[in-house]
Amino acid sequence: MMRAGPSQEEIRKHNLGTLLRHVHLGGPTSRAELTSLMGLNRSTIMALTADLTAAGLVREELPRDTGRAGRPSLVVRPETARVYVLAFEVGVDRLAAARIGLGGVILDRREIVRERGPFDMGQVVGTLAGFARQMRRRTRDDTVCVGAAAAFCGAVRKSDGLVRSGPNIGAEEVPLAEELSRRLQLGLPVSVGNDANLGALAEHTRGVGMDCRDLVYLHGDVGIGGGVIVNGQLLGGHGGYGGEVGHMIVNPDGRPCGCGSRGCLEAEVGERALMEHAGRYGEGRGRDGVRDVVDAADRGDVVAQGALQRVGGWLGLGVANLVNIFNPEMVIFGGMLREIYLGSAAQVRSRIATGTLAATREHVRLRTSTLGDDATLMGAAEMAFARVLADPLEALSRVAN
Amino acid sequence: MSQGPILELRGINKSFGPVQVLHDVAFSVYPGEVTALVGDNGAGKSTLVKCIGGIHPIDSGEYLFEGERVHVSGPRDAAVLGVEIVYQDLALCDNLDIVQNMFLGRERKSGLVLDEDTMEEMAAKTLAGLSVRTVKSLRQHVSSLSGGQRQTVAIAKAVLWNSKVVILDEPTAALGVAQTAQVLELVRRLADRGLAVVLISHNMNDVFAVSDRIAALYLGRMAAEVKTSEVTHAQIVELITSGRSGELGLKNGNGAAS
Ligand SMILES: Nc1ncnc2c1ncn2[C@@H]1O[C@H](COP(=O)(O)OP(=O)(O)OP(=O)(O)O)[C@@H](O)[C@H]1O
Ligand SMILES: [Mg+2]
Ligand SMILES: [Zn+2]
Repeated sequence: MMRAGPSQEEIRKHNLGTLLRHVHLGGPTSRAELTSLMGLNRSTIMALTADLTAAGLVREELPRDTGRAGRPSLVVRPETARVYVLAFEVGVDRLAAARIGLGGVILDRREIVRERGPFDMGQVVGTLAGFARQMRRRTRDDTVCVGAAAAFCGAVRKSDGLVRSGPNIGAEEVPLAEELSRRLQLGLPVSVGNDANLGALAEHTRGVGMDCRDLVYLHGDVGIGGGVIVNGQLLGGHGGYGGEVGHMIVNPDGRPCGCGSRGCLEAEVGERALMEHAGRYGEGRGRDGVRDVVDAADRGDVVAQGALQRVGGWLGLGVANLVNIFNPEMVIFGGMLREIYLGSAAQVRSRIATGTLAATREHVRLRTSTLGDDATLMGAAEMAFARVLADPLEALSRVAN
Repeated sequence: MSQGPILELRGINKSFGPVQVLHDVAFSVYPGEVTALVGDNGAGKSTLVKCIGGIHPIDSGEYLFEGERVHVSGPRDAAVLGVEIVYQDLALCDNLDIVQNMFLGRERKSGLVLDEDTMEEMAAKTLAGLSVRTVKSLRQHVSSLSGGQRQTVAIAKAVLWNSKVVILDEPTAALGVAQTAQVLELVRRLADRGLAVVLISHNMNDVFAVSDRIAALYLGRMAAEVKTSEVTHAQIVELITSGRSGELGLKNGNGAAS
């Protein structure tokens, strides 16, 4: 079937979204820069900016200091204090919520430690809804919430945000998106995504991977998650479960994994493996437990050093496979993998040097996350902003009514 | 990133009295990359770096900067080229604050007199540009800073003057794990912004975590200059301890150049 070209209205919608995305990701941008970035003429940029300004999404200002003579070009900046989303995180050890303004600024945040134990949806959703209520109560009247999304430490179905499994948090077939939407009562659907996928999105849009179109983000929590960006797009797979690199088998007949398999990357590199090799299982948990091992290794504890070396070797093998498959420009270590990578980089990179094709590894840059513990929340915020960036005026009119 | 070296040494010899410390050393440093300089205690790493910084005059050899032969006969010459060195003792003044330290010894270099506000603003911009958030006040005395924060200030001082090459002599040696991580990430960030960085370290995890190339000195000779992506930990350890590893390294086990 032949399709007619885009209508005037579709073009305008697309341009509004593109302009808004530029200032959302790039911060204050002059009209002149937008003109060249978008390849449109000045009067079109002016009209688009006027529409977004009238909608209260951006504001035009004189730049703070130009340092140059002559009439400065007006700067378009996002209405960070006015337009925001709610971002949530459900991790094994923490429940967190943040109010994040257009432009990616954390305006407010709440967080509590989650006790390990069975997954209780009522408690999780109740806590997050409570955080949301507290934060919304503290906003001015003229603010507007344009989206909400949650990062979850498990496999999430793309179509409806159903949690299929989260072995480390004991969740299975949980309608998290539906329940959050119901309890938050924002008049907006709440999206849910895999935490490492969202971490990848965040590092790609605002973190260390900003200039990379192809990257792999590895997130260490209790388990290991992954997010793969290919040609600028998050690789979702058929149902949204793509990038589950934690269950890539690196050691057949290796350690049992929470997913039921054996020798998964997560079983060999996750928190439990490290703590057991270090003879410290049960002594400390989460990031603190991992930090203690890295710290002990640094101070000369040979058992801790051996544990890190073993784990680093498996991590390197996993990364080598990913490098061969995706030929990424960058591999990012986030969550507790930051500490593990820095403490075992000699093993990790030796494995990559011997286990990859020279052509696939030659330009790979290995980096630690720059967003750190905020990566997953920032990724959830990006997911929540997607709607307003796709069609700014329509999205805004919907929340206004 | 496949540009030529910004700084290149060829055939460098250096003796202290009758003792020859550097023998026919070649060493290249590239913009946008971290080059790790490794070697056993006494291999000549600090001496090489001090030759680059103009603290020790070289006896013979070529010093090329941006492809041109240059003569560096003192620290000022190095600074004019944009080569900055952070020595392990740091040379910060405990009784001065962060801003004063960052401008120490530089007030007159450019000929213009900077007022306090401008200096503070420049210091703040530099630290913010390096994504340094751990320092609370710029007017804090350096004596009140942790080891990692002192290292950070020293590095920020080195990059404040649009330097092109920054050399760090064992910046993480005295630091705990958390501070080491921050300094390593800072080192990486400097290179990612286009600077050429040289990192001296005995810690192989630090070396592999952030370097693009590794140069191994053995008894005052350059045993090998390799890409980090192409070598293993075991090979580097062999180069450090015996000057060779398989095809890599000095051809003659007693340290004579091939
Ligand atoms: N000013 C000097 N006068 C005489 N000998 C010196 C001087 N500086 C260094 N040396 C000698 O030169 C050799 C190389 O020393 P250098 O400090 O360069 O080693 P290094 O590789 O930095 O070692 P380390 O890892 O212990 O810091 C040593 O034998 C040292 O004793
Ligand atoms: Mg030395
Ligand atoms: Zn598994």
